Amino acid sequence: MKFFKAALTYTILILFIFISVFPFLWLVSTSFKGSEEIFIIPPKLIPQKFTLNNFKEIWTAIPFGRYYINSFIVTLFVVIGNLFLGSLTGFILARFNFRFKKILMFIVIVSLIIPQEMILIPNYLILLNLRLIDSLVGIILPSLVSGFSIFMMRQAFISIPNEFIDAAIVDGCSLFKVYWKILLPMAKPTLISLALLVFISTWSDFLFPLIILRSQENYTLQVGLSYMTGTFVDNFRLIASGSLLAMLPSILLTVFLSKYFEKGIFEGGIK
Amino acid sequence: MKLASKSSLVLFLLPTFVFIFLFSSLPTLLAFSISLFKINFFGKSEFVGLKNFLRLFYDKYFYSALINSFIYLLVTPVLALISLTLAVLIKDLQRGQNFFKTIYFLPVVTPVIISGIMWRYIFNEDSGFLNYVISSFFNTKVNWLTSYPENIFSIMILTIWRGFGYYLIIFFAGLMSISKDIEEAAILDGAGFFRRMFFIVLPQLKPTLTLVFVLSGSAAIKLFTEIYILIPGAPLSHKTMVYYLYHQAFERFDLSYGSTIGIVVFVITLGFSYLNLKLIERER
Repeated sequence: MKFFKAALTYTILILFIFISVFPFLWLVSTSFKGSEEIFIIPPKLIPQKFTLNNFKEIWTAIPFGRYYINSFIVTLFVVIGNLFLGSLTGFILARFNFRFKKILMFIVIVSLIIPQEMILIPNYLILLNLRLIDSLVGIILPSLVSGFSIFMMRQAFISIPNEFIDAAIVDGCSLFKVYWKILLPMAKPTLISLALLVFISTWSDFLFPLIILRSQENYTLQVGLSYMTGTFVDNFRLIASGSLLAMLPSILLTVFLSKYFEKGIFEGGIK
Repeated sequence: MKLASKSSLVLFLLPTFVFIFLFSSLPTLLAFSISLFKINFFGKSEFVGLKNFLRLFYDKYFYSALINSFIYLLVTPVLALISLTLAVLIKDLQRGQNFFKTIYFLPVVTPVIISGIMWRYIFNEDSGFLNYVISSFFNTKVNWLTSYPENIFSIMILTIWRGFGYYLIIFFAGLMSISKDIEEAAILDGAGFFRRMFFIVLPQLKPTLTLVFVLSGSAAIKLFTEIYILIPGAPLSHKTMVYYLYHQAFERFDLSYGSTIGIVVFVITLGFSYLNLKLIERER
């Protein structure tokens, strides 16, 4: 009975490993295939003629390097913005009582539960008025801080005991110093989790960049790849190698830092 | 904490709330007012009252989008069942917990566009893997991407594939946080696995179940990118509300009608938002 139960458990778990991994294997295999091998039937998982050409071609067929840099710039600024502004605001909302605190909390919570899809068009119009359409700044600014980051950091700061802060005040620390030198280092695990979550979601973001970015030199990876599927219909092997390169940062971060992800999802599960 | 002067608090909060006001609060208010206007890019916008909302009633594409979005809610129980089962199985493992969780998490962190690209190839009707397997057994092919409702089903598969690893982690955390005493007592009393699941574990998991329901339900209603990448060429009647919003606002440039659809999306997800708010308050 015990053996039967273990066998069943492992069968199910391994079946789902297969389901999770299979599409990746397919993508990896395609990205190493030559053009004549893509649509042969029956499809083969192992390329018969192994080639690295697709990885070379992708850089010249489209401005792939440019997309990559754009995605990095956007993600970098959004991650830094959310870490800094999210923690600073979270710190004040967690530690101080002042007159308009209730209103500010209300604004944060509303921003947390309003569907992004509803404010898509107004944001487009606001960026149009700020002349930020078709610029990376236009997709960075609206994501620079979010209710989610503020809330997650606030939860982290609430649980830090008062004694640490009081001691610092006795030592004559300024408000910013208390935040920067004492609270921030103590919230390091939460900061890492937040950075990962923001990285993954910004790196993957699609709808907003799609409507804001117009010219090819401004595309992020996701927008560039999606347009590529429309134009290079039979060049699936190029798209495959591009996709593989484009998802690499997310995959590597997950593999090496998965415990922070789990913590982040657990703490920030209110998204 | 007393050391803070009013001005320094204001200084610290100002940047954040400028951004939140400009790109979240203001747009929220604007969304409602835009839907009452007819926006003209060149020239003056015109107040039309509830005309945009009335138009929804006679718009057959809106109805099909609404129905399709609701059909996608079917993934919610499936996702919950798969991820809860896997979480329970992984929890009882002596070793390898992190290995399984990490592998299951890979589809979660893969950008939707790229997941869509992978599955497009698997679903490809002429040379895809799925039809290859099916045709070698049954001598027939499935129109995974072009026929309705088959393409709805394909997108559900993609959604489930992308999602289960995420909800698994939430369930796993939920399972770890419930008390083991009661379950151990039940084992001593001879209660079997399924009895323990139904009468002891599930009732204690209620907040976790609500969270998973809220997250996967509102994601299903707001489905867009999966549609965009997997079935871009399909007729409008196969698509969802947010896709229809995108179509009206950014392909036909009818921003006010698009905004009206956005309001409907908001109203429909209000129930989820309410439950979400309850969960947030529990945390506070």
